[in-house]
Amino acid sequence: MKMASEWIPTACGMCYVGCGVRVLVEDGVVVKIEGDPNNPQNQGVMCAKGKSGIMNLYNPHRVKVPLKRTNPKKGMYEDPGWQEISWDEALDTIAAKLDAIRDEPQKLYVQAWEITGDCFYWSIAFGSAFGTPHLMGNASATCGKVIHPVEFFSGGGFHQQPDLHYCKYAILVGTQFGLGARGAFNHITMDMADARARGMKVISVDPVASHAGSKANEWIPIRPGTDTAFALSMLHVLLNELGLYDASFLKHKTNAPYLTGPDGRYRREPGSNKPLIYDAADKQIKVYDDPTLRDPEIIGGGEGGRPTFELLKEHVAKYPPEKTEEITTIPAATLRRIAREFGEAASIGSTITIDGVTLPFRPVCVDWAKGPQGHAHGFHQSWPLKLLNIVMGAVNVPGGILSTAAAGKRPHRWWPEGGTDGMLEEGGHILPLPHPKAFPGRTPTKPFRIDLAELFPLAPHFHTLLPITAQQKERFGLTYGIEMLFHMPTNSLIGSFGDIKLVESFYQSIPFIAGFAVEINETNLFDDIVLPFPSYLERADFVSGTNLLMPHCGKDDWLWQIRQPVVEPAPGLRQPQEVLMELADRVGILGDFYRLINHTFRLKDSYALQPGQRYSINEVIDRMTRCWFGDEHDLAWFNEHGVIRIPKDVDEAYIGPFLDARLPIYLEHFLQRGDELQGVVSQMGLDWDLSDYKPLSEWMPCPSYHAIKKGQYDLIAVHYKLPYVYGSFGNDNPWINEICERTPNAYNVLVNEDVAKTKGISDGEEVWLESPATKVRVTAKLTQCIHPQVVGVAGHFGHWSPGMPIAKGKGINFNQLLPTDLEHIDKISTALDHCVEVRLYK
Amino acid sequence: MEKEQLAISVKFMGELRALLQRRTLTVNLPQGSTVGDLFASLSGNYGEPFSSRVFTHSGALQHYILVFLNGQNIKDVGGLAAGLGDGEVEIVMLPMFEGG
Repeated sequence: MKMASEWIPTACGMCYVGCGVRVLVEDGVVVKIEGDPNNPQNQGVMCAKGKSGIMNLYNPHRVKVPLKRTNPKKGMYEDPGWQEISWDEALDTIAAKLDAIRDEPQKLYVQAWEITGDCFYWSIAFGSAFGTPHLMGNASATCGKVIHPVEFFSGGGFHQQPDLHYCKYAILVGTQFGLGARGAFNHITMDMADARARGMKVISVDPVASHAGSKANEWIPIRPGTDTAFALSMLHVLLNELGLYDASFLKHKTNAPYLTGPDGRYRREPGSNKPLIYDAADKQIKVYDDPTLRDPEIIGGGEGGRPTFELLKEHVAKYPPEKTEEITTIPAATLRRIAREFGEAASIGSTITIDGVTLPFRPVCVDWAKGPQGHAHGFHQSWPLKLLNIVMGAVNVPGGILSTAAAGKRPHRWWPEGGTDGMLEEGGHILPLPHPKAFPGRTPTKPFRIDLAELFPLAPHFHTLLPITAQQKERFGLTYGIEMLFHMPTNSLIGSFGDIKLVESFYQSIPFIAGFAVEINETNLFDDIVLPFPSYLERADFVSGTNLLMPHCGKDDWLWQIRQPVVEPAPGLRQPQEVLMELADRVGILGDFYRLINHTFRLKDSYALQPGQRYSINEVIDRMTRCWFGDEHDLAWFNEHGVIRIPKDVDEAYIGPFLDARLPIYLEHFLQRGDELQGVVSQMGLDWDLSDYKPLSEWMPCPSYHAIKKGQYDLIAVHYKLPYVYGSFGNDNPWINEICERTPNAYNVLVNEDVAKTKGISDGEEVWLESPATKVRVTAKLTQCIHPQVVGVAGHFGHWSPGMPIAKGKGINFNQLLPTDLEHIDKISTALDHCVEVRLYK
Repeated sequence: MEKEQLAISVKFMGELRALLQRRTLTVNLPQGSTVGDLFASLSGNYGEPFSSRVFTHSGALQHYILVFLNGQNIKDVGGLAAGLGDGEVEIVMLPMFEGG
């Protein structure tokens, strides 16, 4: 720990990005935070959230000692009656509760989301060592549920990014990529500015013209929950009207030539069971990996069956722009123009040479993220958007859509790999952890888990189901309940689920809850024991954000940075990793915990944590840095330099041409998983919607679409992000609050000006916003920058906890509006529908 | 002549610990048995709830199943074909990591 007046490098922790920063500390007091110009993660710049971090460190309402509840009654507005206790009493109490369920570990539920540092990985390891399946590794009820499983089977990495260095035409659908959100935010924001300055066109397809819409060349308002129709119509124009697609890429790098039978399944070679392809070069049917294959047929195929590409072409013909205009409200002429511009900008057949390596050049992409995922049929709202990139051959090549963190060679090698049927199956990730994937999926079976994971064989995320299913256990044949929740400081009560009354009831049903707190947020109000969590400026982390999952793409340097405390932690605080090690020791799982930590962080030989030993977090991080980067790069080296940068080779930056696997355009495995699931749910006597188990996406409306058609409601509420708000993390910050108060859309609700006039609602007026789940008082901000059928709710506000006095009572919590039941859950991904029918009135 | 038996000590972690309601187990197998033989034996004992979670449709281990043989990841020592000896097998069912 350095205490002199000096600049200390560390990593920001005000959101998941983890920018490199330099902190000026004078006499042990932080007086300034700046971006680290040597760190590729943010290239020296910072955002408003990061700058405001100093106020979180010195927040007088921070929790700095363990607390226990004295009021046994729990509820959203119950005073817990906190009493300060010692660390020993807190950990004794938690360990005793863990001991009580030691032989039934499934009764433990761990909310592990703490992605600004190590604790995400450490608490997953802790829960796994204990033996519970109920490990929640994400925070949102929507975000991440589709993008990651799709990206791992169609790109190879965790997330996607337009290649801002070469892209000429980017369509952003339900995302504010590089303009208001996403990983490596400060890096990509500058890349986005450079790209726009050199002429890249940005088209924002979004119900709300927020930061992305305001910067885009064109904002195209779309009715929420109709992304499938938009994407399928774009595909129709490209494939059937314009004939623009990358045939060579489709033939050799996708399953487009795989032949299918009348049942939609692949035709396979008897014996090997390999999918078959018709080779037009010698008019022979061959297995997909036959070395003599020269010209795979993607249209035709003769008596051998129909290629999947032909099925796709035929399928999307059902979605001409005139038909989808009625669904999306996007004029047919606009869609045709966008499709033509996109297809022509793709420069199909062109190449580019980078560092002496010649690569395909496809300077177009469609990017999507949170928006399309948050629907009752969220998988199929999103997947055809990715298909637009695949048919143009614009995946993992210069100018196209790039997969984040998919491959690397240093400090060790990680690379995506092909597998079943020659398709991309194993995603690339620097940590050897099982990646979220939707191919080929798991065998559905009668559930043992309360989140019904077994009935979602293509999903990696399940937690959103818990408030629904925990209270219907008998219906699913479950004979136990969650008896203990252990959580990180994330405010899941208001951010991870929907209907707040249902969520309150779920939390009330859990007999014992313990968790960390930076400040007493709404989730902590339900805690029995609260453990203080240090500020990021007091913490030590080997993983200091999401640069290992969502770094900037392209040829800019790869990086690893650590987080070090820049000030002495407040008395009474402990490093959370050390708390987890102590808890593991107290409940007798320390050896198993170390086994999983060693595996997670690739600690081997003399660097591995040894059973029976106890370590400080500094000792652990020192082992990690030396194991990964050599003994010369120990903790002291990282404390001095903050970051190590490693140049990327061309094949690491643009993996597409170097990937020995095909990408899907047709999801054949959905048929088999659907059939298997039908068998299970029939046996269980469940009425289960299986309509999403299709190899080609259909537009399926959300419940809100029907509600509007029936006239029960007249508007749809959607959520959108603000660049200065990360979840509810840091909301109780006077600087952030000042920005929100001075920004007209932060604490207010966007309403289309013309619609407001018909309702007699004026700008700044307080009105009721009513959904099927609840009714809240909101302030209307009238604007032309929103679809006329939509109400826009920004950020993550609506706090009521007395522990957050600055944020309390400001803005609204969007999630509380959401009906939360199985009808509103995507049956592929488990995403909760985030477009909700509402009424707005005085 | 009957083959000498190996007594394999098995430890379960992750979801399998809850699913099988046990932390440890001793499995007797013939000398020369492999990790694959151990999994076949466990599938026989625990049936579909075990095998449906552990194996892919093509019979490989699911990517979230991690197996250590005397502390070494079996991926580094031959996978399911790795020979068993005296010592311990740890079988871990990890959650897929998430995001968002």
